Amino acid sequence: MEVKEEKTRFDGVRVEVLGPTYEPGKPAGQDEGNWRRKLRDREEMLRYLRTSERYWYSSDWYGSERRKNPA
Amino acid sequence: MADHLDRSACPATVQLLGKAQQDGVSTAFLRADHVKPCPIGAEGSCCRNCAMGPCRVLLPRGKSDLEVEVTGVCGATTDTISARNFLRMIAAGAAAHSDHGRAVAETLIAAAKGEAPGYTIKDEYKLLKLALDFGIEVGDRPIEEIALDVGKAALAQFSQQEGELAFIKKAPLKRQEIWRKLGIVPRGIDREIVEALHRTHMGVDQDAETLLLHGMRAALADGWGGSMIGTELQDVLFGTPQPILGQVNLGVLKPDHVNVIVHGHEPLLSEMIVVAAEDPEMLALARAKGAEGINVAGICCTANEILMRHGVPIAGNFLQQELAIVTGVVDAMVVDVQCIMQSLPKVAQCYHTRIITTSNRAHIPGATHIEFHEHDAVNAAKAIVRAAIEAFPHRTGRVEVPPHRVDFVAGFSHETIDYLLGGVFRASYRPLNDNIINGRIRGVAGVVGCNNPRVKHDSVHVEMVKELIKNDVLVLQTGCSAIACAKAGLLTPEAAARYAGGGLAEVCEAVGLPPVIHMGACVDNSRILMAATAMVKEGGLGDDISDLPAAGAAPEWMSEKAIAIGQYFVASGVFTVFGVTWPTTGSEKFTRMLFEGLEEKVKARWAYEPDPIKAARLMIEHIDAKRKALGIDKARERVLYDMAMRRGLEAL
Ligand code: SF4
Ligand code: SF4
Repeated sequence: MEVKEEKTRFDGVRVEVLGPTYEPGKPAGQDEGNWRRKLRDREEMLRYLRTSERYWYSSDWYGSERRKNPA
Repeated sequence: MADHLDRSACPATVQLLGKAQQDGVSTAFLRADHVKPCPIGAEGSCCRNCAMGPCRVLLPRGKSDLEVEVTGVCGATTDTISARNFLRMIAAGAAAHSDHGRAVAETLIAAAKGEAPGYTIKDEYKLLKLALDFGIEVGDRPIEEIALDVGKAALAQFSQQEGELAFIKKAPLKRQEIWRKLGIVPRGIDREIVEALHRTHMGVDQDAETLLLHGMRAALADGWGGSMIGTELQDVLFGTPQPILGQVNLGVLKPDHVNVIVHGHEPLLSEMIVVAAEDPEMLALARAKGAEGINVAGICCTANEILMRHGVPIAGNFLQQELAIVTGVVDAMVVDVQCIMQSLPKVAQCYHTRIITTSNRAHIPGATHIEFHEHDAVNAAKAIVRAAIEAFPHRTGRVEVPPHRVDFVAGFSHETIDYLLGGVFRASYRPLNDNIINGRIRGVAGVVGCNNPRVKHDSVHVEMVKELIKNDVLVLQTGCSAIACAKAGLLTPEAAARYAGGGLAEVCEAVGLPPVIHMGACVDNSRILMAATAMVKEGGLGDDISDLPAAGAAPEWMSEKAIAIGQYFVASGVFTVFGVTWPTTGSEKFTRMLFEGLEEKVKARWAYEPDPIKAARLMIEHIDAKRKALGIDKARERVLYDMAMRRGLEAL
């Protein structure tokens, strides 16, 4: 699907450019804004915890405190 | 009317103060005119801890307590009396938050056992996180078993007698060291509160310094104990908040609907009322009485809680509770604990409103009591909604719902900020830290707390927050302060372009964040502690909360809880400014300890400044000083590379 759009260039000349090619969409229903649904099972949740909250729950990455207190 | 304009920055409040006057209703605004603050108590110089007193330890005019010593009958000095009073405020505030946390822990246990119909484990992710915090085995165990163990472990934190509270481990390592060195790591939540009351009893601790040290221990038991348990376990039961579009101000009330207002602090019951209000049986009953439907709205922190999780609108903050009834369309106001004015049944007498108390800890003469227990929550909620429907046909008096209603975005938990700034592959505070380091964001401020009719309602919060964001300070908010700024339109992404400084606006636009972030209710100040800790741990901004370019404020505070919160902010390393009044001015020495001496102990201190702009400037000065100490105070020049420079780069 090729969408073209007319736009005005910096020098005032009208030019044809490629338009957006994505499907416009909005999350709806129970998925709206709920990123947690991406974590489907316990294993994934624990894995995500160890990366997103790695300062507390990961044993190999300890943020700014790593140097002084190796985990 | 001109008078009322001076009382509030909120147009709906101003309008209804006019109606209240016409209807002959007394409100807190009016009573504040008639009841002047006691000058002795306001300074913290009144001791009534035994029957030899009460002793008013006033200094002779023009003298300071550093020159003369006046004492109570037992010999207690102004310093001791001020410190004792201050510690008692912390104890009461910590007790309120902690009792809230305890109720949530009990409900989680009941839900896990299947003894609380209607409650389920909504957030397994958060439950697993708590299981890791408490060292509870996860494996393949059923979710209810884990929840039961987590609930029991949380409940045990209240009565623990020795050791350290579990969440203390979450603080930056350096902060933990400071606490340990001072001997102020809380052992158990109840224990520190009881000890605070013991120490302040007649004839016990008489040294302002040791009283203050214990004050910090009790406050930490709140921030890193009771409040944090409340927040975390509520997330397990009701879901961790995610950004949600809400509406705020009295205009959310609907004249043709049955209006139920939930007011107070514990979302345990209000969650069920939201469910009951959607029950087809209740809706049919409401229609039979001539209403279009049932409209639930919130006041104070209950409002923040259910808005974040259900999108239920907020009718107003602390000083609007009486005015909601004055609209003439509130059929029932359901209250639980904290921040509920005893005047409500009296105001309700002028209208048809039913005031319903629900907690066995909080009864009000003149109100109807429908007690709520977690094992029968659904039925209690239905009984309450039914009472509201019954009241609907009995509306009396003139109805006036102000047209004011503002959209805003709420519900930014620490987890959501982490996710929004990072992404699903690796959530992170890195972009926030980077933008602080590169100077687009100057720093972060937590502006929280109540309303107080001694100052112009909402105006101090709004002025302060506007000044902060104008100077590129990202603001985190909870409680009635968040409601005040939401009403002023500051909690939308669009507010960034309108009110924020260039750097902050740029970042907000890039990530789609408002410049003022709603993080929940008063107990959720623990979320701000977690956000600050995450910033430290991410790296680049020092290795303690006190190194961060960050400050806190409660510019319109009134509750003892605010003092407890302020003290745990300070004890955690955050410079904190309060407005309205300061409760220890009777003792110069103790006040100096708070305003100066604490810096040496916990690397942070209190300040008092009632003028919002001056207070914001104090915060900005502090943020700038911290930036300087980190060596990130000089703006980095942006160099636009031309082709020759690029070639030079490649040659390297
Ligand atoms: S404890 Fe001392 S200062 Fe307080 S009321 Fe009794 S005698 Fe007075
Ligand atoms: S911010 Fe203050 S007034 Fe508002 S609900 Fe919390 S404690 Fe009560």
